[in-house]
Amino acid sequence: MSKAGRRVVPFSARARAAVFSLAFSLLISVPVLLFVYRQTDSLFEQRVRGGIDDRERDLLYGYRSGKIPGLVGEIKEEIDTGLVRNGAVLLVDGSGRKVAGNVEEWPGELRAGERWVEMPLYPERSRQPVPYVLRTVRLPTGERLLLGASIEDRDHMRASLFEALIGALVLAILLGLVGGMILLRVTERQAREVGKVAGRIAAGDFSHRLDEQAGGEEFAMIASAINTMLERIEELVEQLRLVTDSLAHDLRSPLTRMRANIESAANYASAEPEQRALEAISTDIDRLLRMISATLEIGRAEAGVGREQFSEFNLSELLADICEMYQPVVEEQGLTIRVEGEQGLVYFGNRQLIGRALANLADNALNYGAGGGAIILSSIDRGEEVEIVVSDCGPGIPAELREDAVRKYRRLEPARTTEGSGLGLALVRAVARLHGGEIILEDNAPGLKVRMVLRR
Amino acid sequence: MSKKILVVEDDETTADYVVGGLEQNGFVVDRASNGRDGLFHATDGKYAAIVLDRMLPGMDGLSVLSAIRAAGIQTPVILLSALGATDERVKGLNAGSDDYLTKPFAFSELLARIEALQRRAPTAAQSVTTTLSCADLKMDLLTRRVERGGRRVDLQPREFRLLEMLLRNQGKVVTRTMMLEEVWDYHFDPGTNVIDVHISRLRKKIDEGSDALLLHTVRGAGYMLSENA
Repeated sequence: MSKAGRRVVPFSARARAAVFSLAFSLLISVPVLLFVYRQTDSLFEQRVRGGIDDRERDLLYGYRSGKIPGLVGEIKEEIDTGLVRNGAVLLVDGSGRKVAGNVEEWPGELRAGERWVEMPLYPERSRQPVPYVLRTVRLPTGERLLLGASIEDRDHMRASLFEALIGALVLAILLGLVGGMILLRVTERQAREVGKVAGRIAAGDFSHRLDEQAGGEEFAMIASAINTMLERIEELVEQLRLVTDSLAHDLRSPLTRMRANIESAANYASAEPEQRALEAISTDIDRLLRMISATLEIGRAEAGVGREQFSEFNLSELLADICEMYQPVVEEQGLTIRVEGEQGLVYFGNRQLIGRALANLADNALNYGAGGGAIILSSIDRGEEVEIVVSDCGPGIPAELREDAVRKYRRLEPARTTEGSGLGLALVRAVARLHGGEIILEDNAPGLKVRMVLRR
Repeated sequence: MSKKILVVEDDETTADYVVGGLEQNGFVVDRASNGRDGLFHATDGKYAAIVLDRMLPGMDGLSVLSAIRAAGIQTPVILLSALGATDERVKGLNAGSDDYLTKPFAFSELLARIEALQRRAPTAAQSVTTTLSCADLKMDLLTRRVERGGRRVDLQPREFRLLEMLLRNQGKVVTRTMMLEEVWDYHFDPGTNVIDVHISRLRKKIDEGSDALLLHTVRGAGYMLSENA
């Protein structure tokens, strides 16, 4: 696969996964935390309210049993026993003067009969205002009673609760992110495994199967489905191979016999025209046989056969060989051929097939590169990939016809008159694919440039 | 004395074709249609060459070949196979065959290869030759000097190897694919006439200006270096 063809998981997919997992963790944790916050708060309030209720009941009991003196006695006792350490209590008479209590004076804006008012008070010996929750009662005799509880603690608690909640939130976000990444990593690994097997299949190696035990149940399902598909593909390819092989074989036998008969006929034929006619037939049969061989060879390369013949060889030398091989015939056509690029480039692959592909490209350049100029064979080492480029200065192939040119038996219309099987580029592509690569046709301005990309 | 060839081939038509052709060319031919019979004949060791099909009933061609070699019989073997791909060919050569021919083949190709093996077999044991010649064409393998009638001929390295191959096989047909295999080490058939142009260049260098032509074209088969036209 060429770099251009291989899809790299884009960063945005990771970012998307991260954002998704973050939103998910927020969606879960925020309501929970809010609930905890509200619950704690209302629990506190209930406790405060309950305390005030109790004190109100006690004081009013004192009032009912001993009128104002009884009430004052209760208030004093409350203060003395320290029951109201965090509380406030004040009794004023009808004109607003303090009768008893630990608060200096009735807050001006406060009416009697309130059940729950929050306001700051200055308790005795305190210069700082302290937040209180207050309850006021108007007594039947005209006095007013004020009961309060400090809610300073509640504010403290609220603050620390808030801090804890923020902390928990941060933790949730972090955990969400990490969890998301791990999940993504696991999924990615499994997806990559699937991709790897698919890649091998694309390269013609059908023997690999996915591990149905690895990963979760969902992946086991996918793996099982893909494996079933692979089995079917392998079966079909095997059938196709058998059919084409036997078809080609069956075609070859009568052709071979025909060729043999023509050969012996040529031995008996004495006249020159007869000889020539027979020779022409012989040439055509040879062409047919070559086409059959090429078809078989393409089929085999496409099916991944030939991989076991991979070995290290000097690609630069191969280029030089082909160049040297074609030089005389190229020069005879009034063209030139030369090698450019890397020296001593070593590649691991099938030398015979790559040589054959290169010869096809040189042939093409020779047949369609008419009009003078140079045929250039060059190689580029890209680390992960090796590229062989064959360019000519002929008329080239228009962009819209290039894909067509690579297909089996497709010969571009203007080229029909020239000799050729229409299998040249198809074989080159099959060979490139056997090596995990591809061929790319480009404009050489003028001419055609064929880039054969081979993976390392 | 005529030479004996063993043909092991199960396909009737191909066997007829090969045997008929060989007999026409003066060989005495023994025929076997399965691997076991083939091996039985081959162990005699009296053959000049064995033509062995790759896929045989009873015993596979490669197994027969291995068995022949294991028995210490060095008779040259040409494998015939419908499997033309290069990987199959390497398997065959590794198993001990001297040549590998893909079906379908022209009989002339098979004949040329059998002839070439005849020559190769005895010289392999002889002392190393340092000069080759044909009429007034002389090649010194050590100094890499080539002369035609005392006139020095300058050859490119590849032309030198081509000529060397033709000289070693003089009087015998050398096919284009044989040249491609031996001189370039490629086992495919280039569509265009690349070899022909190489030969015509070589011919120009060695035959131009001489009365006797040495490098001949054998129609429908290949080329031959010979004193006699």
